Amino acid sequence: MIVGKTRIQLEARLTSPRWLIVAVPVLSVLLASVVGGVFLLLTGHPPLRTYGDLLNNGYTSFYGLTDTLGLATPLICTGMAAAFAFRMNLYNIGQEGQLYLGMVGGAWAGIALAPHLTPFIAVPVVLVTGALFGAAWVLVPALLRARLGTSEIVSTLLLNYVALNLINYFIFGSRGFFRDPSTPFPQGRMIYESARFGAFGTTNTYPTLLISMFLAVFLFWFVRSSNYGYETSVFADSPSTARYAGMNSTWLTTSVLLVSGSLAGLGGAMYVVGPAGKVDPGLLQIGLGYAGIVVAALARYNFVAVILTAILFAGLRVGGSALQASSDPVPIAIAVVLQGAVLLFALGGELFRRNRVVITRVIESHQVMVGEVS
Amino acid sequence: MNSNVWILTFADAISIATTLILASLGAMITERSGVINLGVEGYLLMGAVTGFIVADSTGQLWLALVASIIVGAAMALVHATLTVTLRANQIVSGLAMVIFGTGLSQFIGKPVEGKTRPVIIDKMKFGTLSDLPLVGPIIFGHDPITYLTWLLALSISLYFHRTRPGLILRATGDAPATVDAQGVSVRRVRYLHTVVGGALMGLGGGWYMFARAAAWSQAATTNGIGWIALALVVFASWRPLRAIVGAVLFGFCLQVPFTLQGQQINILPPEIVSMFPYLMTLVVLVALSTPRARRLLGAPKMLGQPFVRDER
Repeated sequence: MIVGKTRIQLEARLTSPRWLIVAVPVLSVLLASVVGGVFLLLTGHPPLRTYGDLLNNGYTSFYGLTDTLGLATPLICTGMAAAFAFRMNLYNIGQEGQLYLGMVGGAWAGIALAPHLTPFIAVPVVLVTGALFGAAWVLVPALLRARLGTSEIVSTLLLNYVALNLINYFIFGSRGFFRDPSTPFPQGRMIYESARFGAFGTTNTYPTLLISMFLAVFLFWFVRSSNYGYETSVFADSPSTARYAGMNSTWLTTSVLLVSGSLAGLGGAMYVVGPAGKVDPGLLQIGLGYAGIVVAALARYNFVAVILTAILFAGLRVGGSALQASSDPVPIAIAVVLQGAVLLFALGGELFRRNRVVITRVIESHQVMVGEVS
Repeated sequence: MNSNVWILTFADAISIATTLILASLGAMITERSGVINLGVEGYLLMGAVTGFIVADSTGQLWLALVASIIVGAAMALVHATLTVTLRANQIVSGLAMVIFGTGLSQFIGKPVEGKTRPVIIDKMKFGTLSDLPLVGPIIFGHDPITYLTWLLALSISLYFHRTRPGLILRATGDAPATVDAQGVSVRRVRYLHTVVGGALMGLGGGWYMFARAAAWSQAATTNGIGWIALALVVFASWRPLRAIVGAVLFGFCLQVPFTLQGQQINILPPEIVSMFPYLMTLVVLVALSTPRARRLLGAPKMLGQPFVRDER
């Protein structure tokens, strides 16, 4: 592109410098805060004080930080779910629905299976059942994608709305298994105490945080060191190369989507084991599934970075709810605005990470005459 | 149950189809140029809330709709900048716009939440024609934007298949390198059609606000219509006139739960009935994925691929 006497060119970088890998996300967060600040100003909220409150309530106070870590726990799971699929160019955006189903599966195991189990294995059973339910929810889109090539984007998303209605049916529309029979008030039936984790002290952080962090580190290692991880990387770069090399694309596609779904489902089960203890329609309001996509994209599908971005985003949410309850109520949606804006800036910044911008002066303007041949 | 109810449901389906047609026309134009815009849901919400706020402060319906169009175009401009100039992943950029649009519409819509809409789009009167049985409610019972939308679908269809810029547009989606070799700027074609597409989505949101929704409330406004519109593009095989047929069909599915509820028919719980439009969309998508259907569909070949000249 030539502007006046300067030529702006992009040259692909072979390796990205280390500082840019950090600078792009940090700049994205700063620029997004500026955009959020403009909207705060326009609606009559002083941006600096609002951001100060947000930081304090979300990150820097003890209970703010522990609330954030508690909320980050399922978010790390949905972030890993998105990262696992997106890095193979499989766009599972049904984490929201898979998360709900994980909650349902976890609650089912916690009510039906837990009384027959020793407390030591009750929690793992609940978590695994949730993961299986999450995987089951993505099974149909996964098979369709692998066998027929049906776009997983729309199919996984449509199932989010089905899952949403399913939860509403369980809690509000029927008096079935998942609803608390002891009260006319519509709420979920509690799972057995033996299938729950206690929180750390008086905080809202649960031991499940350690499990999700451990999983993130494990997956970080796994996709780099295992044969399976290697195959998915090849497939992501070039599906035809993968096929020529004899890799089974049907199996890779199906299994990646199933693992992705089970990670999101695990997040739902962690919510049951930890703070909720039941099928809780409150989860439907938080949008952890959609936020997981942002978390994963901002972490550039790096599982360890997902931990950090999940904590960042959980803090926005926790800080945002505190703002909503304060004397100068700022709608909590500001947290979602910031999330979207961070992602938009990070996406634009990718170009500068992958390419070097070369600006040169055009010394002599080469005016090539193009003759009309007619 | 009398047949009258179903005629009215069908008429309602045609009406609700307007948003679906506008949104899928927008997505279709964008995709024809080779750019995927998955942000439809966010554009609809932003179009709706902007229209509502402008109408609330000015009382002018047309001004409100213009604002909806502008906001849709502005969001699409961001999408085009990210995906065409900065070559960002189109799918993630679209999703980011859904999240951004959902958040922002909720944020700026907070002060007016729950307020009833200040103006509505009136249905047109065709004298005795509107009173005809069957034909009256189905054909002569709609508002001006609905008729405009039908006209728009027809003109876009002619544009795609009967004009030179339309040919260039289709070529940009199928073989951008060829278009580039012809001396036409791929970038300009993609920018232009992405922005026009966004404007149509914005209008779709604005229309929905004033014709269908009783009040602004983020949770209850679009309810996934944007995603259904995206499936509709595939269903219509990127052809505008087929989008009308598809939209009415999908609109009917969206409308049936309300009719059943209104008629006190409780065969199934309302939550289960509400799943039908999404499940039906899924079934349609699957039916269209068979190899035979795929050959007939003709999706733009370079959909989702950024065009870089030196990588040709």
